[in-house]
Amino acid sequence: MKKENKSKERFCGNCDSHSAYYYPRQVFCMRRFTANKEPVVDTLWHCEDWNLGAQECCCVSEAKKQAETGENPS
Amino acid sequence: MTVDQLIHQFSNSGSFGAGRLSTACNVYEKMVRDQECTIFLALAGAVVPAGMRTLIADLIRRNLIDVVVSTGANMVHDAIEALGGHHYRGHWLMDDMVLYKHHIYRIYDVLVPEEDFVKLDCKLVDIYDDIAAKSKGESLSSSMFAWELGKRLGDSGSILRAAYESHTPIFLPALRDSEFGYIHYLHARRRGFKDALVVDAFKDVREIIEICRNSERNGMIVVGGGVPRNTVQSAALATKSGLDYSLIITMDRPETGGLSGSTLEETISWGKLKAKADRVMVIGDAMIILPIIAASVIERLGDSFKRAPKRLARNR
Repeated sequence: MKKENKSKERFCGNCDSHSAYYYPRQVFCMRRFTANKEPVVDTLWHCEDWNLGAQECCCVSEAKKQAETGENPS
Repeated sequence: MTVDQLIHQFSNSGSFGAGRLSTACNVYEKMVRDQECTIFLALAGAVVPAGMRTLIADLIRRNLIDVVVSTGANMVHDAIEALGGHHYRGHWLMDDMVLYKHHIYRIYDVLVPEEDFVKLDCKLVDIYDDIAAKSKGESLSSSMFAWELGKRLGDSGSILRAAYESHTPIFLPALRDSEFGYIHYLHARRRGFKDALVVDAFKDVREIIEICRNSERNGMIVVGGGVPRNTVQSAALATKSGLDYSLIITMDRPETGGLSGSTLEETISWGKLKAKADRVMVIGDAMIILPIIAASVIERLGDSFKRAPKRLARNR
């Protein structure tokens, strides 16, 4: 159960290769950009290249709040 | 009382900062009325985040500035605004860890969202791609690079756009020391470091020296100092004639030996400024001083005054 929760926390905004983009709902992924993939992804999207070098920021928590309340950010 | 009337009262005092400010207005007026003078504006410090973007664009459009030499960062902030980003009023006592967590950058009491930088990155990488394709492997000077950027920005309040439309060169001698440098990395990496845009800093040297050499007289207005100030001064030295006018606004001191605080007398020792040059150094915040000087001189010139455009970038 604990492992499952940890997996759910693997969001894009948790790694050190992102910047805010339409904060907090989307992030700009430098890894994807330089790999010629669409760089703008949802903050709560799970990245296969996720790493433990988590950057302390509020992207994820703010995006989760918006998702939970069903708030339309636009 | 108008701005220029106040400056005349300062002139009557003639003392301390008031005296220097009134002298600065006289020096700039003389530069502007001298049709044989090429006026260089050297910009360092957070001029654009402080809100002086449209002032500088106006001076360019009125032909009251002939050449701009700037840090890369000021043009980055200009481009951010041109592409829809903004600078916001904050406070110098804000909690910087909170700002960091929310992806907000602080420039003293001005705030810029990281998001606006990222949107700039995205758009400029495509623009870099376009410029690289157009230049077909040939390197550009920084002024050509600024020209190409200005061509692709539609905002009339932009310094880069105003310079493009009025054929005013903008030199960016420390181009890579700004977001422009990081954007180049993204642009180059995305294409596997092949056929990337090349900006040749040494091309600037010839261009700016030739501008100085072809001009009967040269004048310089400096905000801050640093690399932009020395770029202008060195070009004047290379022509073996030195500058004819110099107006510097700085808060730096000379004792450290740094360029930004060096006195104009020190500049004379290098041959970068003529001994008989009209000159003044105003010690104060350029965000206050420069708009006052501009307002006073524009008021003196009157509506009928028209300075002939130099169009120094006309060959592009």
